[in-house]
Amino acid sequence: MNLRESMGIALAALRANKLRSFLTLLGTIIGVGAVIFVLSVVEGLNRYVEDKMLGVGSNVLWVDKYGMITTQEEFIEADKRPDITLADVEALAAGVPHAAVVVAAGDTYAHLRYRDKVARSIRLGGRGPGYEVVEDLTIDQGRHLTDVDDRRRRPVCVLGPEAAAEIFPGIDPVGRQVRLGEQTSEVVGVTKPKGKMFGQSQDRFATVPIRTFQKYWTSRFSYYAFLKSVDQAAMPLAEQEARNVLRARRHLTPGRPDNFGITLPDTFMDLYRKITGGVFALTIGVAAIALLVGGIVIMNIMLVSVTERTREIGVRKALGARRHDILMQFLAEAATLSLTGGLVGVTVGVLLALLASGLAHLPAAVSVPSLFLGVGMSCLVGVFFGAYPAWRASRLDPIEALRYE
Amino acid sequence: MLISIRDLQRVYEVGTEQVHALNGVSLDIAANEYLAIMGPSGSGKSTLMNILGCLDTPTGGSYRFKDREIAALPDDELARIRNREIGFVFQTFNLLPRADALHNVELPLVYAGCRHEERRRRAREALELVGLGDRMKHRPNELSGGQRQRVAIARALVNKPSIILADEPTGNLDTATGEEIMTAFGRIWEQGNTVILVTHEADIAAHAHRVVRMRDGHIESDLRGAGRTGAAAPAGA
Repeated sequence: MNLRESMGIALAALRANKLRSFLTLLGTIIGVGAVIFVLSVVEGLNRYVEDKMLGVGSNVLWVDKYGMITTQEEFIEADKRPDITLADVEALAAGVPHAAVVVAAGDTYAHLRYRDKVARSIRLGGRGPGYEVVEDLTIDQGRHLTDVDDRRRRPVCVLGPEAAAEIFPGIDPVGRQVRLGEQTSEVVGVTKPKGKMFGQSQDRFATVPIRTFQKYWTSRFSYYAFLKSVDQAAMPLAEQEARNVLRARRHLTPGRPDNFGITLPDTFMDLYRKITGGVFALTIGVAAIALLVGGIVIMNIMLVSVTERTREIGVRKALGARRHDILMQFLAEAATLSLTGGLVGVTVGVLLALLASGLAHLPAAVSVPSLFLGVGMSCLVGVFFGAYPAWRASRLDPIEALRYE
Repeated sequence: MLISIRDLQRVYEVGTEQVHALNGVSLDIAANEYLAIMGPSGSGKSTLMNILGCLDTPTGGSYRFKDREIAALPDDELARIRNREIGFVFQTFNLLPRADALHNVELPLVYAGCRHEERRRRAREALELVGLGDRMKHRPNELSGGQRQRVAIARALVNKPSIILADEPTGNLDTATGEEIMTAFGRIWEQGNTVILVTHEADIAAHAHRVVRMRDGHIESDLRGAGRTGAAAPAGA
């Protein structure tokens, strides 16, 4: 029995009863649509977070006092650790050959003022040379901070575009004196915008040289370090070298845990994936129920179809159809039915995902494998739930079937 | 012998009772015979036809078709014989309502595993043979009763079977159309086919050259030349 004919019969039946077909396929449509939608949103979020996670460039890991902390208890414990000093960072710069760049960093918050304009509580960061590489910053106006700025502890700063826009509406900021907290600083550059992450602006900051930061804003403070490894493959090596350097400096004997944290972008992604994984699992559960219900409805409609067409089955058998032929015909019809639902579901899911990214600013990314998954899944539902009605059809006695009114 | 039946039994279980639909039927049918099976309802003629058509299997006795014992064959092999060796014509035509005439005629070829182009070609030829060359794209509900039955005949012929098995082929047609269909069967016989009619109408059976009368599950009479020649002579004479 050829597949094309079975599919043709199924499609003709679908067209003949549009409302019934729609209701029949609703479960499948919802199930597949939900899967595609959630997969798209999760995939979109993943890419978005991977792109923008903490605004760092690629192959960057960072060393700080705390590491990855998810509970308050962990924080209380980690808070007792020794601070990371600039000397530690220098030791890292000297002792990690697989790091191309090592940048010392410290963060606080301060009000940024220019005349009567105030940008409240912007992120004020001290950064060693090379910060533009690890933080993936490009300059828009003026220049970046330099090695000389750092060595001379110059009171200069680079502003993020949003911070600059708040206090310099329509004015060129470069060369102007601003107040950063209590200190006066000269704006030497403004960076290009990096956009938002989770609604949080990444462009509302002021960066000063790390030694300037050390001199004016903090006496005792835990710094941290960005390390950019020479390439992707060297990331684990750089991590291990950094660990060795710090453990040696702190005289940690083997067996004792690290009293500092090394964070790779992967570490963040793992945590993040755990969260989205929960959402994902929930939706897959809901989709599975929808598909189950959808499958049962398809089974029901196929049983009706087998009964309605008992005579046709009898005729086909009289003309030489084997059980296998009848079985395949009805399986193909069930699969065509649910496949149609799957295709509609995929379309609905994609449209919802596009709508979500358009209206709710959820970054949805429709991936091609998820489309195949959706279509394949619906096909599978059809074959699985169509099996019993098809089997029933194939077992019909030809004489009884021919006599059926 | 094309068909050789010996002491055929068919017992149905109806509740706790046993019904002997066929009770010791023996019959030989040679190639290119034109035979009618007659009898009142309940005589067992339909059961006999179902067994001859390999739609049903006997519960006892022997049915040899082309020297093969049919009684013991599995389902799929019976399906193959129905497909290759037997062309059915039913009282109610039994065409697929959603398919056009051409497609209906193609069906046996589909199950024979015929390629698409060849199917088309042979189905067209069969329809032209029954004079429906201009109705190929019509669905059954767009055809008259006589035309429908001719589509069914084309379908029965398309796979070049050994026998044409017609169950009350004129039962749903008016007399004139019925005559037309019987003329078609006559032509089919003339071309060398074996035709078996099942009917309870004497004037339809009169077209056949041999009439087998059944009653209560066995053969009551078997007369050659009962049809056109008018002179009744016992079979085998």
